[in-house]
Amino acid sequence: MVRALFGFALVLLSGCTTVVIDEYRRSDGELAKGDSVVILGRRHSSDYETEPDLIDCVGKQLHNPDAGLNIIPEQQFVDAMYPWFEPRTAPMHLRSLDRVMKNDELRQRLEAYGVKYIIWIDGSTETTASAGSIGCSIGTGGAGCFGFGTWDKESDYEASVWDFRDQELSGKLSADAKGTSYMPAIVVPIPLIARVQNNACKGMALQLQEFLLPSQTTKQKS
Amino acid sequence: MANRQKGFLSMMRLAAASAALLLGACSHTVQVDGEFPQPVGPQHPLTVGVYLSEGFREFTYHEDSEDRDEWNISTGRAQENLFETVLGSMFAETIPLGQYPANLPSDVELVIVPEVRELQFTMPRETRVNIFEVWIKYDMHAYAPNGDSVASWVITAYGKTPTAFLKSREAALAQAINVALRDAGATLYTGFAKVPELQALLADKRRAISLEKIPSPTDTASAVDTPVE
Repeated sequence: MVRALFGFALVLLSGCTTVVIDEYRRSDGELAKGDSVVILGRRHSSDYETEPDLIDCVGKQLHNPDAGLNIIPEQQFVDAMYPWFEPRTAPMHLRSLDRVMKNDELRQRLEAYGVKYIIWIDGSTETTASAGSIGCSIGTGGAGCFGFGTWDKESDYEASVWDFRDQELSGKLSADAKGTSYMPAIVVPIPLIARVQNNACKGMALQLQEFLLPSQTTKQKS
Repeated sequence: MANRQKGFLSMMRLAAASAALLLGACSHTVQVDGEFPQPVGPQHPLTVGVYLSEGFREFTYHEDSEDRDEWNISTGRAQENLFETVLGSMFAETIPLGQYPANLPSDVELVIVPEVRELQFTMPRETRVNIFEVWIKYDMHAYAPNGDSVASWVITAYGKTPTAFLKSREAALAQAINVALRDAGATLYTGFAKVPELQALLADKRRAISLEKIPSPTDTASAVDTPVE
């Protein structure tokens, strides 16, 4: 009962978010037993960085060994392949994978991991606007805050799915999410936070699951 | 009298502690302790001596300018780990040198000595971009066993990390430095054989190895002349 009330309060106390997912699919996912998928963030841009916690979130949402979807954690993979998947050395295009394949030890290690798909996620979540002000004061009679604050956040991510074995682009998808958070303060500040990045993560993970396990998603729908 | 002295002493202690606290409020200390993975790939066929000077192993960047707080960033231990790990897997054999040029082992074919030339960093407040950035520049020197310079080249490393909720500036900066050090290791590993002088040295070494594998004409003749009983 308490849990239900707490959940209901959380729903009421969160800001609104809209998520738009676009997809371009060249082929359906073909994962055999023992195959694995790695999700990596692009970090080559100088003015933003794909957040490691978003990559972690998408990976955790997708990881389901029972369904045949084995996700290798980003840091584990990047460490095991050092220094070939660092921000400045990672292959930017599919044709750059040839360079990876020429390195025998690296190729063997990738094969040992059973890598079938490499998913690159590029983008970030930013605060685009903010307004309002909150003032807090403390005195002998007590303390309190008064005011109102609001801020908008936008997530813009693009995921490219590379088929490592066939060395081809299997598909691309983008997730755009927007949300406004509010913080009214009448003695106590009450944050109504829009979980923009988290919703972008969930939307993208769901779409990637549909792509990687098309048969299971169809079964679930029927 | 003794009580008055004690009181004076405790007052002085309190004043000193308050002064240290006030001074410490504007001073930041960052200790970078990174562990780095071994590079994956073929090794160069050389026996290399690696000399990491005391200044390099205990390197601390100090900055105290007018428009910034005081910063003391200690990267010595992390960069020692990085160079030991990366250089240790780059060559057929790597020998750490406690001193240089004295007592150089006879089988060393090349000595590598890195030096920190520069370290710079920026904060989100300064750039209005929501990331911490770090640049590190290393001067790399390679010497022949007789002490002659073989090659000198520069490694520029860059690291950044986004600001994170509930993370201190010190922690964010340490993370950005670790990313920069990984980048330095990647550039060292992938760029070593692209330095012209080292490329020539490696080509000569490979040629010498391949010639050793081919039997000489006298060896072949003696093998043919050997009577079969």
